[in-house]
Amino acid sequence: MEGCRRRRETAWDGVAWRDAVANHPHLLKAEKARSGRILLGTLCAHAPPEILHAFDIVPVRLWGAGADPGGADPLLQSFICPPVRQIMAMGLAGRYDFLDGLVHAYSCDAACGLFNIWRRNLHPKFAFQLSLPYMDTPEALAYAQVEFRRLITALETLTDRAYEPERLRAAIGLYREARVLLRRAYARKRQDGGPAYADLYRLSLALQVFPVETVLPWLTAFDAAADGPAVAGDAGTTRLMISRSLCADEALFTEIAALGGNIVVDDTCIGYRTLLGEAAPEGDPVTALVRHHLARPPCSARADFPARRAYFLEQIEAFRVEAVVFIHQKFCDPHLADHPFLKTLLEERGIPSLQVELEGEGLTGQIRTRLEGFFEMIGKNGP
Amino acid sequence: MDAQKTTKRLKANTALREIIAEFYADGHRAKAEGRPVGWIPPMNGLIELFYAMDIHPIFPENWAPVCAAIGTNRENFAACAGHGYADDLCGYFRNNVGYALDGIDAPDQPLGGLPKPDFLISFGAGCIPTMKTFQVLCDHFDCPVIRADLPQVAMEDIGEHHLRYGVAQIKRLIAFLEDLTGRRLDMDRLSQAVAWTDEACRLWDEIMALRAAVPAPFSAAEIGIMFVMVTRHGTPIAVDFLRDVLAEVKERVAQGVGVVPDERLRLFWDNIPLWYNMKLFNYFEKWNAVVVAETYTSAWTLRMDPSRPLESIAYKSLVSYPLVSCVSLEKRLELIRKAVREYRIDGAILHSNRSCKPISMGQLDIQRMLNDELGVPAVLFDGDHMDGDKFAFAPFQTRIDAFIEMLLERRASAHAPNP
Repeated sequence: MEGCRRRRETAWDGVAWRDAVANHPHLLKAEKARSGRILLGTLCAHAPPEILHAFDIVPVRLWGAGADPGGADPLLQSFICPPVRQIMAMGLAGRYDFLDGLVHAYSCDAACGLFNIWRRNLHPKFAFQLSLPYMDTPEALAYAQVEFRRLITALETLTDRAYEPERLRAAIGLYREARVLLRRAYARKRQDGGPAYADLYRLSLALQVFPVETVLPWLTAFDAAADGPAVAGDAGTTRLMISRSLCADEALFTEIAALGGNIVVDDTCIGYRTLLGEAAPEGDPVTALVRHHLARPPCSARADFPARRAYFLEQIEAFRVEAVVFIHQKFCDPHLADHPFLKTLLEERGIPSLQVELEGEGLTGQIRTRLEGFFEMIGKNGP
Repeated sequence: MDAQKTTKRLKANTALREIIAEFYADGHRAKAEGRPVGWIPPMNGLIELFYAMDIHPIFPENWAPVCAAIGTNRENFAACAGHGYADDLCGYFRNNVGYALDGIDAPDQPLGGLPKPDFLISFGAGCIPTMKTFQVLCDHFDCPVIRADLPQVAMEDIGEHHLRYGVAQIKRLIAFLEDLTGRRLDMDRLSQAVAWTDEACRLWDEIMALRAAVPAPFSAAEIGIMFVMVTRHGTPIAVDFLRDVLAEVKERVAQGVGVVPDERLRLFWDNIPLWYNMKLFNYFEKWNAVVVAETYTSAWTLRMDPSRPLESIAYKSLVSYPLVSCVSLEKRLELIRKAVREYRIDGAILHSNRSCKPISMGQLDIQRMLNDELGVPAVLFDGDHMDGDKFAFAPFQTRIDAFIEMLLERRASAHAPNP
């Protein structure tokens, strides 16, 4: 199945990877116009990109970066979280016109509403809701296999091509390869040094918005250069974890670094959590993929407190985290409801934390002031 | 804001008050007698199982409107905030977490408060705030917990494998309850409980259908009758009560007794009521306007099959959430179209509810569908089903007054003789 990773011309040929990530909506649009490839939007990492890839579809994680949430006013109330409003605003403005449809996996209530409102108003050619279980049991495995096969059947209809297990196995292999490389990049942050967090964030995002065969060479080159002098790391001295759902504003990371923070790991919906676990290479690929999904690290929307607590502590220990910044989106129920118990968990261990809340406008003066105050408080102001 | 009580007209409300008091008294009796008390999430099909096994169910989400009505919601919100929870979280969450963590031990509570749980069911199902509420409760109470699972599926997508998975979860729960109580589930008792639920749903549909009569025999101000649909499914209590309600409503229809003497406008209400201000439902009466149908009351428009009790309660669990939320937006629109036709709706009031995203999302589509497709004007107002501080009466009044006047003018023009 070498065809799965075959080199083909794309609209981002010759574009430096950091620029490609920053401009991904424009490049994807150009790619659609150029090649006519099918592109499907996803709202959460629980929509399996491997299955889409097996049908030669590009999975594109929707990302409301830079959009004015007010653009969603005709369809969404102001008390819906900013990322969902920003994605809807981009959809209404035609900035996601290159998409052929959406795959949704009940990430949260707001994402579910977005999926249905999008479907009703933007009339995509394809819209699929995957109803995944919350538990990892034998019954859940059997159930989720049927759900994944429903998606496969729907994609067969969309693409007019039959499902080929070998293609799915190959896609699983490619994503595994990419995740291993990116995990290795994160692992370098376990020790002192390592790459800049902004690059880890960009590469994580790249894997969510570009075909995996595009991202693999970027990751390979990044990995090869990792120990060389050309790779810039973070100069901050406070080993930091950030915890959030989505945050499209890189300026926040820059500011944290400027204040002395060294983000060594994240607990986010695009980031380290999406890289952990692997689908087994042997056996039925659908079953392997389902097992991988059921055993994924616990996110705030789909896991209970004991699972979240264990995962959180594990990462704090593994990455020697000294402080945590919770970057919450206003009105984000899953993360807001998790915050008090996670904060208590940190207090019990003497780890300082800060909560900032975003309202769609990214890094504001108020957030900058709060970050400054936090770093002054923990006494490590300045790199 | 103090709780604003509604003016009710059905005689059945006297019996309802006794049923409510008895439900909570029975919970305390169960606790005293050593019968297990289980706290469970709302709107699911498990209650039949509880009653079939002599377990007393407690629904925190049903307790929240009681707190709003008696005014203790504010104390619970303050307690919840004291534990670090954001003010933007759902009012049910804030009330129930505040109550469970602090308020439950307060002396002299109305209705005696809630008996503490002997076990908890924590679901992966329904809306996020409900899931999170139960995660907090599981973390707080030192009692056995069963974690169950029922993914959110759009009504139109529900298939055999969803039902099969639901049944598998219910079997896990039965094993858990049998271990807890030391007793086997009697399937005949479960079938009987399912039969009572089915009869309650049938009666409910019949009662709701009578509201199509002009004048409407009762309004949304009587929505409290759904207490039995939440807490007393699976028992003859709901059936007996609803039979009495049906008889009373039939009599009102036969005698042409309406909510107001000269009904002029028939309104539809979307989203959860403002539990601390049920009097709003009477506000429209000064124009002889009556809320004759709601989205929320359609949550029990389903049938159960006593010969397949496990499948029936699995189905009820699966449909309860999508039936009224944005999980099945198209189905919800369909339901509203049907209501507009059957209840001869003149206008719709859409409560844009900060506390409930799953029900509020899609309301702008509903508004447009009503206006553009059905020619039924609809007005949206900002509110919150639990928190009076997030609802301002003056803007509501300004908006609603203008809306009703517009509806009256439309009506007058429609009835005016052609020049």
